[in-house]
Amino acid sequence: MADILLINSTEGLSAVTNATNLLSNSTEGVSAVTNATNLFSNVTSGLPGSASAANLISNVTSELPLKPIDTPLILNIISVIILAYILTYILSYILIHFADRISWYRPSLTMVIPLLKLLIYSVAFYYIITSVIELSLTQMIAFSGLFGAAIGFGLKDLFADIVGGIVIILEKPYQIGDKVTIGDKYGEVKNIGIRSTRLQSPSDEMVSVPNFTLFSQPVSSGNAGDLAMMVVIDLFVHPDSDEERAMKILRESLVTSKYVIISKKYPYTVLLEDFPFYKRIRAKGYVNDLRLEFEFKSEVTRRAWVEFRKSGIRPPTGVRAPGGGESGESLESVD
Amino acid sequence: MADEDNPDSGGTVIGYERELADITGAIDRYGTGAPSHIAIVAEPMAGRTTLVAEIRRIYGDRVNYLPLEFVIMDSTVLDCSTYEGDIILIDNCQFLSTRKIGGFDVLDMFLRTQITSKKLFITTWNIHSWQYLCSVMNLDAYFPTIVTLNRMDMPVLKQVILSRYKPGEIRFLDEGVAERSMFFSVIHSTMRLPFTSAEISVPWIKLNFTLMLRKLPRKKRVQISLEDVILEKINRIAYGNPGVALMLWDESLKDNAISLSAITETPFSISLDTNESFILSVILSMESLHAKDLAAIAGSEMDIDRVIYRLVQQRLVRDNAGYYSIEPFALGPVTDYLRKTRRLW
Repeated sequence: MADILLINSTEGLSAVTNATNLLSNSTEGVSAVTNATNLFSNVTSGLPGSASAANLISNVTSELPLKPIDTPLILNIISVIILAYILTYILSYILIHFADRISWYRPSLTMVIPLLKLLIYSVAFYYIITSVIELSLTQMIAFSGLFGAAIGFGLKDLFADIVGGIVIILEKPYQIGDKVTIGDKYGEVKNIGIRSTRLQSPSDEMVSVPNFTLFSQPVSSGNAGDLAMMVVIDLFVHPDSDEERAMKILRESLVTSKYVIISKKYPYTVLLEDFPFYKRIRAKGYVNDLRLEFEFKSEVTRRAWVEFRKSGIRPPTGVRAPGGGESGESLESVD
Repeated sequence: MADEDNPDSGGTVIGYERELADITGAIDRYGTGAPSHIAIVAEPMAGRTTLVAEIRRIYGDRVNYLPLEFVIMDSTVLDCSTYEGDIILIDNCQFLSTRKIGGFDVLDMFLRTQITSKKLFITTWNIHSWQYLCSVMNLDAYFPTIVTLNRMDMPVLKQVILSRYKPGEIRFLDEGVAERSMFFSVIHSTMRLPFTSAEISVPWIKLNFTLMLRKLPRKKRVQISLEDVILEKINRIAYGNPGVALMLWDESLKDNAISLSAITETPFSISLDTNESFILSVILSMESLHAKDLAAIAGSEMDIDRVIYRLVQQRLVRDNAGYYSIEPFALGPVTDYLRKTRRLW
């Protein structure tokens, strides 16, 4: 296959050509590929190891047992790719919709989706390769060397993303359904693809983050595969406010919320911190479904401020309480 | 459950003998040191009333009985200093709190009264309300003795039901079929957790070997009791709840005869939004709530009339002169649904 590609194609495959040229000009730094090529050349043509690299490559590629590339084969390859895509799409669709119905176990089920995709695309890739070329073990080694060099020098970003995707699937720093921050992007993971991860941002935008970002940017998951997620709610009150009363109100606003879940696994807490011009009452609690994160925050904040006003608890000077008259700006902090 | 309507009829509480022994043991130990307050925790219609009646029968004048029937707003109602008996039995303590801001004040006051009192408090709670309050305010720390009434298995339920009749008084007719496989049934084993006194009820699959044997060749068959098949169906529909099972039994019994075809199962297909699920969980936890209490819990953001209409229309909730409660036959499906959607923890 490499032979055909190198001889018959000069466009669109420059990476492979470059890699081959590099191999022919260099005997250092690409020892694995060279060794494999040498091995293959020794086996197939009996040339001595000191022969030029260009001759070796030529011998390697000329001996590859390629099948004739005709229209049925091309159609076959295209249909395999389309079939793999449709299969992954249907399976993802079914699993995601089924996962939504079983609530508690949603993260466990969605975790399987990237694995299935990897499996399907791997099988499709293997099928395509074997339908074009029949490789022996030594040929496979030689081909892998060339292929690796091509990846390394020409398509490194694409394959870095694919490797990132595999790492995500195996290491599971996040899963479909998690609320994550990747770099400066925050949202719910809607899809983990072979090349990129798609996030749904709070403003309902779909953000595509290359999987390679995993290696270069910090990744934080708000729920780590769980359906519940901790939410931090900060309210700021005037320094002269009755802080005990304010804490009690926020605590009760949290524990009586329709979105909250509380147990030994999902504890809650309410904390007070004094600042020069205000006091911060912070509540930490778990929302029972991470998709309701913002509804949970909004409900607790709104109900707490209604009670604050009844109890004479004011916002800091110069700031209006939400819903307290002219302005409805939230007082939540972003740390 | 057998003598629910007549607390003074005498006899033991069928099915809850061990639980009753735990309670009487705790009461008998009372007298030395701080009282070991008792909490009796159960699902709606699971037999709390029967147990309370039995305690009152056994301890007579020592017991001051205070049944709560609606949400308590004024903590002075719970002033027990004037009571003469040394045991204070408060029924339906879920009415001491409501799920709203400021809804825990009466319960806080009650718990402070309880831990400073020399009297023994026996309290009964709805299990869902109990679990919520344990999560939110560590309620279980105030009760050294916690007795949980678990779901019943068929043999116990059979005892409960048939104890109301003379031997041979009920005829079991061989009509109809059990809609589901009777080869297995779900039982609830009680397990004690290590390093703690807490007990949990674990659902478990029990294989019914005798029923399996019916499938053997005729010569090897074992005759299975028809009444077991009928009672198994009743227990399955009732989710092991004795109150619901008794209600179903009474509805299915005609002229002291019962058959499989006479036992009808009401199907429930529950689909609710967040507000409806929340209000349903509140009603389940409180057992019975007035519309104005529901409106206070719902707050201004929720259209409570629409929510209640939806729940009543789906036959999950019933209206009893302004008080809303879960339909008895919907108790099992509603509980399952709310657990699945994480409204019950």
